[in-house]
Amino acid sequence: MKMFARTVLAGMATLMLAAPAQAQTTYNIASLADFTGPYADVMKDLNGARHSAVAWWNAEVGKDLGVQLKMKDYDHRYDAAQVASLWPGIKAELNPIIALGVGAPDATALQGRLPADGIPLIMSTAGYGFGWKSDPWVFNPRSTYAHEAAAFLEWYRKQNNVSGALKVAVFSSEASPAYVDIAKGLRKYADENKATIDLVEIVYTEVQPTDLTTQVNRVLNKGAQVLDVQTNTAAVVAVKRALQALNKKVPIVMSSHNGITASASAIGGIANLEGDYEVYGMAMPTDENTKSRQFYEKLKSQYGMKGGWTVPTVMGLNQTLVALRAVEAAAKKSGAANVTGRGVREALLSTTITSEQTFEILSDVKYTNDAPFPTTGATVNIGIVKGGKYITAAPGVAVPQIGKW
Amino acid sequence: MSEFLNYTINGALIGLLYALIAMGFIVIYRASKVFNFAQGELVVFGGFVVWWMITSIGLPYWIGIPLAFVAAALFGFAIERIFFSRLVGESVFAMVMVTIGLLILLRGLILVLFGPQVRPFPIIFPLQPVIIGDILIPRSLFIGGMITIVVGLGLSWFFNRTRPGLRMTAVAEDHQVAVSMGISVKRSVAFAWILGSVLSTLGAIIFLSGKSVSFLASEIGLAALPVALLAGFESIAGVLLAGIIVGIIQGLVMAYVDPVIGGSVGNVFPFIIMLVILFIRPTGMFGWKMVERV
Repeated sequence: MKMFARTVLAGMATLMLAAPAQAQTTYNIASLADFTGPYADVMKDLNGARHSAVAWWNAEVGKDLGVQLKMKDYDHRYDAAQVASLWPGIKAELNPIIALGVGAPDATALQGRLPADGIPLIMSTAGYGFGWKSDPWVFNPRSTYAHEAAAFLEWYRKQNNVSGALKVAVFSSEASPAYVDIAKGLRKYADENKATIDLVEIVYTEVQPTDLTTQVNRVLNKGAQVLDVQTNTAAVVAVKRALQALNKKVPIVMSSHNGITASASAIGGIANLEGDYEVYGMAMPTDENTKSRQFYEKLKSQYGMKGGWTVPTVMGLNQTLVALRAVEAAAKKSGAANVTGRGVREALLSTTITSEQTFEILSDVKYTNDAPFPTTGATVNIGIVKGGKYITAAPGVAVPQIGKW
Repeated sequence: MSEFLNYTINGALIGLLYALIAMGFIVIYRASKVFNFAQGELVVFGGFVVWWMITSIGLPYWIGIPLAFVAAALFGFAIERIFFSRLVGESVFAMVMVTIGLLILLRGLILVLFGPQVRPFPIIFPLQPVIIGDILIPRSLFIGGMITIVVGLGLSWFFNRTRPGLRMTAVAEDHQVAVSMGISVKRSVAFAWILGSVLSTLGAIIFLSGKSVSFLASEIGLAALPVALLAGFESIAGVLLAGIIVGIIQGLVMAYVDPVIGGSVGNVFPFIIMLVILFIRPTGMFGWKMVERV
């Protein structure tokens, strides 16, 4: 009997000692999303990617670390005022250790208050020149849009053996500070590289242009060899229609938010974009069998991925993976029970998130205290429509250096 | 010189498109004294209906477009019945607030009915531009400009020369006087909303032909506002001239000033004109001057 009692007591003691090792500390992620604003159409994919990535991490990484993450969505309608209004409630309700944003409204509304709140914000987009400040709390996993476009222009010039300066026209809009920022960044890049790039004109239009035939004709008369349209799909369609009206074939280069698949859908078919390009510093959702695609398929089959293999899905994955790897690094450093927003930020600034860790969705991500985006080692992928198919034209093209603007 | 002519003609044609949208403002304002803040959303609604009829369902143009106009007319009528018929006699402020509510409601309705995606708008007018010597004119704007002139002159004739039009003009002048003359204010207001909605759909066809339709298209409502103000909110024929003036100024500023200063002054300039008009001549170029006896 005594023996039995000892055995039971010993068993109970063992269980009690083992219990803390299996305990899971739960932390929260605030997921800022646009369900009813201008980007509502892509939010199913982007947000679906966030949730499935968190589910994957909880099951395959967090479980062993003793960390579980919960994520809650907040609809900010892509409106900075709405973000500012929601944020105090998010803090009170969720006390998040990290937040995921959609675009400029999140950054503009929160960048001033995040240091005091001690919560880093991870974006899915490329960076902006106006946000290029030291001591960042808002982090972009990609270089700026201007850096990405510049990488394309250098690649295109070499690829086509252009001997003098490549003549480029930029179509922008003053409807968004982000659009103007891209144009300013490219102006700075052209000024620094006069021998290789000639920015013939920046054409400012409405976000839904009435007609651009006159403007496109004007820049073609100035010799433009590439038309950079990184604003929205409506502008891509208007520029393309102008080119078709003029019977001219000059390539358009787009970005991630208005890329080939989105613009093809807006113009009524991918064949309309034959010979046009897109450029961005993350995986391209082509049909090619890549590591990123395999990871997506895994999320789809095992972790409830609701989004299709699209650019918004890749955007959702890129930011969430950076956030998850940062939490992971913070938990490894401080212990599962001691993860804080400040600790996650420290981890972001002191750890290189390798391309392997993001399943090649991103190149190596290395932040410094000088900028909210990687300033060295970043690369872009270039996509093209060729023979009616959307394929990768060039992977891993190095991003050039551009001075601050 | 040919470049200057190019910008002038294109500016004038874009101005005529603004004038067409502004006509929607004006017909509704004349009948109900309501400035319809949701005019841009009516353009978007009309655009989505055309897309739905032709691209989504696959109806031929000659059926899809007339059906879209019928749908727009019914939609305008429904708006008047549901919201504005109950507000006859209420303050203008109350009615304006309703149009702001309508703007939000329409955005939600379009989202529910057609989804949030950017949709490809059918190519109604051929893409090939009209080329006269060195002058290059987008065909949709060229044909659209002709249509706008015909519609503008037709509506002007309707309001000034026909009995139903004159009845609506009486309503525009004073609701109480119109009622005392046996004119149905409700019927006139309903007709104005039908007309405003149909004009918005016509504007959407010209504006969006071959492009894409999304919420962003509603911004043309704002762009048309300076044209309506320059004309004065009562003059249909005047809006044609006002549109041409605003369009030419905007086109020339975009061509010659924007590249120099590196910004989009051309898009802002019509609003500068609007402010100047409001300071100098609040009734616009052709608006009615009301003499009130106190």
